[in-house]
Amino acid sequence: MSEDRGERRPRPRGGRRPRRKVCTFCVDKIEFIDYKDVNRLRRFTNERGKILPRRMSGNCAKHQRQLSEAIKRARAIALMPYTVD
Amino acid sequence: MNRYEMIYIIDTGLEEAARKELIEKVSALIEKNGGEIEKVDETWGKRRLAYAIDYKTEGWYVLVTFKAPAELPRELERNLQINENVLRYLVVKLVEKRSSVKPRANRPAPVEAPAEAEAAPAAEAPVAEAAEEAAPATEEAPAAEAAPADAE
Repeated sequence: MSEDRGERRPRPRGGRRPRRKVCTFCVDKIEFIDYKDVNRLRRFTNERGKILPRRMSGNCAKHQRQLSEAIKRARAIALMPYTVD
Repeated sequence: MNRYEMIYIIDTGLEEAARKELIEKVSALIEKNGGEIEKVDETWGKRRLAYAIDYKTEGWYVLVTFKAPAELPRELERNLQINENVLRYLVVKLVEKRSSVKPRANRPAPVEAPAEAEAAPAAEAPVAEAAEEAAPATEEAPAAEAAPADAE
């Protein structure tokens, strides 16, 4: 089966998106994600207000942890919504 | 002594004089219990809440940074909990190691940003930006198409 397609470029197994996303916080060299920075945090939630998973945002584990903490804090003081309908 | 940051939301139904008094009272409470106030930031002012709290859609945000012994936040939270005019509060310990040098440069912006965003509701801002970006793009496209047509 795969031999039939031998002429084509080898495709990464099961990978629709070969390009790996980079953590935007690492790129911007941010060491502490502030819960007050709502405009930045909002980019990491979907239209329902849920936190995007790492596979969507491309964040590294360290920053994703900080990010989720920051978003949860922002929610607690009504800077960000828990849910959007 | 640790460094803390506290943000609390005051009911907008409260008159200005009463609000000032409340802010003073909270500050006094911190200092009375061995705390040391670094900054009281009222530039946030009236902001739209992301969700209604007690059927209220707006709140007056106050941000305080202070140095205090570890027992103070508990006492502070107890008092804020009692006060009916405080809708929400959040006391966070400032982590020096992580927020050293680099974040300092990044942090002033977020603090100022909410004040600017206040004029236009935050939700509308991205939409407005998107519209501005989209507008020139659509204008350029027909122009580009029109140009070769004229040439021919």
